[in-house]
Amino acid sequence: MSSRSRASLALLVLVLAGCDREERNARGAPLPETGPAQQAALAATHSDPRAKQYENVSFQISQGQRLYSWMNCVGCHAHGGGGMGPPLMDEKWRYGGRMEDIVATIQKGRPNGMPAFEHKLTEQQAWQLAAYVRSLSAQPRQDVLSGRADEMSNTEPQTLDERKPVKDAAGSEPKGPVK
Amino acid sequence: MKGWLRVRLKLLSGAVLLLSATPFAGLAAQQNGARPAASASPAEDGQWTMPAKNYASTRYSGLNQINISNVARLKPVFTFRVGTAKGLEAAPIVVGSTMYIITPYPNYVWALDLAKGGKPKWVFRPHPKPASQGVACCDVVNRGVTYSNGRIFFATLDGSVFAIDANSGRQIWRAQVGNINKGETVTMAPLVAENRVLVGNSGGEFGVRGWLTALDAGSGKLAWRAYSTGPDKDVLIGPSFKPFYAKDRGKDLGVKSWQPDGWKIGGGTTWGWISYDPKLKLIYYGTGNPGPWNPEQRPGDDKWTAGVFARDVTTGQARWYYQSTPHDEFDHDDINEQILLDMPVNGRMRAVMVRPGRNGFMYVIDRASGQVLSADPYGFINSVRGVDLKTGMPIPVPEKKPKSGRITRNICPAAPGAKDWNPSAFSPHTGLLYVPHINLCMDMGVMETSYISGTPYLGAEVKMYAGPGGNRGVFTAWDPVRRKKAWELKEDLPLWSGALATGGDVVFYGTMDGWFKAVDARPGSNGRLLWQTKLDSGIISQPVSYRGPDGRQYVAVMSGVGGWSGAIVSAPLDARDPSSALGFVNAMRDLPARTKAGGRLYVFALPR
Amino acid sequence: MRRAALLLLLLPLAGCDGIQSMTGGDGAQGAEFNSLFTLFMVVTGVVYILVIAFLIAALLRRGGKRTDVRDDPGEGHERGLTTALVVWTAFIALGLTVLTLASYFTDRSMAAAAVPANGEVLNIEITANQWWWDIRYHSPTHTETIRTANELHLPVGIPAHIQLRSTDVIHSFWVPNLAGKQDLIPGRLNDIDLLPRRTGLFRGQCAEFCGAQHAHMALDVTVESRDAFRAWWRQQAEPAKTPTTPLAMAGYNYVMQRECSVCHNISGTGATGQVAPDLTHVASRKSLAAGTLPMGRGQLYAWIADPQGVKPGNNMPYIGLEPQELHAVVAYLETLK
Repeated sequence: MSSRSRASLALLVLVLAGCDREERNARGAPLPETGPAQQAALAATHSDPRAKQYENVSFQISQGQRLYSWMNCVGCHAHGGGGMGPPLMDEKWRYGGRMEDIVATIQKGRPNGMPAFEHKLTEQQAWQLAAYVRSLSAQPRQDVLSGRADEMSNTEPQTLDERKPVKDAAGSEPKGPVK
Repeated sequence: MKGWLRVRLKLLSGAVLLLSATPFAGLAAQQNGARPAASASPAEDGQWTMPAKNYASTRYSGLNQINISNVARLKPVFTFRVGTAKGLEAAPIVVGSTMYIITPYPNYVWALDLAKGGKPKWVFRPHPKPASQGVACCDVVNRGVTYSNGRIFFATLDGSVFAIDANSGRQIWRAQVGNINKGETVTMAPLVAENRVLVGNSGGEFGVRGWLTALDAGSGKLAWRAYSTGPDKDVLIGPSFKPFYAKDRGKDLGVKSWQPDGWKIGGGTTWGWISYDPKLKLIYYGTGNPGPWNPEQRPGDDKWTAGVFARDVTTGQARWYYQSTPHDEFDHDDINEQILLDMPVNGRMRAVMVRPGRNGFMYVIDRASGQVLSADPYGFINSVRGVDLKTGMPIPVPEKKPKSGRITRNICPAAPGAKDWNPSAFSPHTGLLYVPHINLCMDMGVMETSYISGTPYLGAEVKMYAGPGGNRGVFTAWDPVRRKKAWELKEDLPLWSGALATGGDVVFYGTMDGWFKAVDARPGSNGRLLWQTKLDSGIISQPVSYRGPDGRQYVAVMSGVGGWSGAIVSAPLDARDPSSALGFVNAMRDLPARTKAGGRLYVFALPR
Repeated sequence: MRRAALLLLLLPLAGCDGIQSMTGGDGAQGAEFNSLFTLFMVVTGVVYILVIAFLIAALLRRGGKRTDVRDDPGEGHERGLTTALVVWTAFIALGLTVLTLASYFTDRSMAAAAVPANGEVLNIEITANQWWWDIRYHSPTHTETIRTANELHLPVGIPAHIQLRSTDVIHSFWVPNLAGKQDLIPGRLNDIDLLPRRTGLFRGQCAEFCGAQHAHMALDVTVESRDAFRAWWRQQAEPAKTPTTPLAMAGYNYVMQRECSVCHNISGTGATGQVAPDLTHVASRKSLAAGTLPMGRGQLYAWIADPQGVKPGNNMPYIGLEPQELHAVVAYLETLK
């Protein structure tokens, strides 16, 4: 083999480094340390490190989509348009629109009728579900959103949607970092 | 002289006879012989003490000050803001010189003094649990209060029944009948008969087990509870149960017509209307859809859902039952009103009930035996070929059967049926039934669903749209004797308000974009529009008419859009997703541009 | 060396027998198909051998004097060629006709096998999921409708009509001993008829690549006598018994109150989930997780403690049970016979 072809082969191998494979942690992310120091740190930044592992991973979003129908979310919130429950595809978030807010809503429930799913869903599943809920308003990166609407009602694919600003019930954007 | 006098007298009496006979003669020409059951419809007293006006559920006021020629001059007398912006489905109740109204959640009850221009007398705040809002299918509505013996009875969304003093608004008793943790809510207006307060639960979309409960009106203690599914002893089926059709006879059919344990979460809620025949001592009411919506998960007839029961009012024991939609596949609850009439059927007077069924058939059923005498379509139906009167069974259309793994298209009528809860009115004056209803079709897909307590138990996805003709609403004047339409009005939006018939041959109803309309009730009139006025918000409530303290006739209606059809405005929902509000949003995309949420009572009268 | 290679070649033939054999003819449809296959083998084999023989003959042919194009080989030669061509064409036409007719009649008799002799037919519904089989037996008396997973029981000599569906991706239903493959396609209804001819244990397998755990999507098929089948159905239609030991009771409470009951169904209890395998009689089954593990206490421990370690990517989540909870849940599941 000539040195030139050898070099081009090496270059080709180098290109493979760009083939980033989505990481799937089948058992779910380990719980973060919950010592008082870490908790204080969490409270200060208001962003859970686990959010990243779910938010922009299409596998997690599609698992969340499965859970969305399995847990009967669709009965109240439809495919984002709402019904008995509020719409999830718009920019209004009564209880906060960040990953950790949504996870809290799923796990603990909310007073106006949102049931609590703690101990019905594992923590990992709650995060997956939250990732899917955020995808309904096109919050994750475009390349991980679904290019196809699976339901019969033919909503627009999420990739055609614009990312919505996250606003609280009063219509103002909450403080603190929003991913 | 004597002879002359005799002749004069004869002439005179003849003239008198002629004069007095003329209206009747005129009526006889128009009239078809149908009249409300006498024992269930007392003479007109100018009040409106229960949402259905009387036990026969005619929703007819005999007052005739407002008539065809002067209705165009109707003017608002007073309005009252109820303080909510959700669907107002209730009928205002008038007792003496007080009007009682109930709001959607949080279910405030207002007493308005009609002698003082509607000034509030008192307000009662029951404080239902906020979580009940989340398990209320199709908006947080309430369909009205009822008055009996100095007390006002009503139910709150979280499943409490209250009895309050009509004068002071003080609570007399409270009974918890429903459990919201299971998804049970109560939206219906109770009926009081023979000292029993009858109330049923809502939540057929949550895997609730339906029941009708009778409370003692004096103490609020449970008198009986009859479930809509399960073993005979729970359904209160005993030796006196004599259904007309053989398929309804047998032991524990409420268990055997289900998959194992299916009846425990099988729906059959009773959130609609109850009528009462004081002569037979029987109450009549319909049961809702079986759960889940996905029919594949519940093979069998799913008794005793989607049918009508006749029960003894004191003991609750069932007398007969007729299942209009066995093994319901399209959410065709059978909770619509039944109007108790005595009318000729095949030349013989019979005691019947007329029911505009959710499945699109106008049923005439013998009140005493439960025999279906006729069932004629009053809307467009392609999901069923007809009703076999020998067996009482609908004739199915196999290609409209929803199956998992495929989408069944163009099912008519859609999930809310050819007509939903909003009640019709019957005028003994014209012999016609005025039916506000809808014309929607749907696509439906079904999928396996889990029962998770307190979450919807549906397993179906629906998308609704206008039926043939493109009009989503219809107002039909139906001749129950001749079994056909006298006339019908096409309405663009679905009709979600009740109808009111009056002695002046004027019929009132409202549209979802806020038009309150008065039309000519007479058979040959083609429903000529006599008057209309645009209200603050869409109308989905039940108009009533009463005689005020000043002796004038009033018409009252509440405007406040919402309900299943109007949730797109009152919630508000996102129209980009056609499956919102269980698929109703797809048919209501234009509503937000045509009306806004609100909540106001309007009272109209002729100018003095 | 050559002998070893021959032996190696014989090895795949071992697949032609036992619980996963397409030549066994244990089902009427399979047998029909098998004889059709044999006929095809013979006919096409003969054709193949002839073609190869001609080829070899042509290659080996020697001594033919090369002649110029202009040289007329003579009428005799031409006639011989024509005859050979006519015979050859006739032979092919005959062969094709035989195969076409055979296909047609096989199809007919496969359809005939689906029609019950005495009106008795078993209605079954199989839904494929990633990666397990959801099986439902319908009965005219609805209270006896039963549901199971990854285990199909069939009575010998009674046709079974099976509706096939899929909830996610395309799968393929294949029990080689009984019949050919049939796809399960999301958004479509499909069906297959089986008529088992002899009793025995067989193995089915998803035959269409359906994701990471495609290989772990097997199906235990038991063909048994009519009485045994009826007894099995009766036993499966029973609701789950309430556990008697305190440990199993603790497991019952855990299952009812926690994640398990949201997805799994256990008849007669508050566990009403429909999206995961029905557990009412899980301990009576032969295997766990669609043929991934044989049924047994140790395997139950392994599966529940770490389903993602056993079958990565499947939809049973890792819950992280405490040892005490794990003991209790396994004890309870073992009572679900």
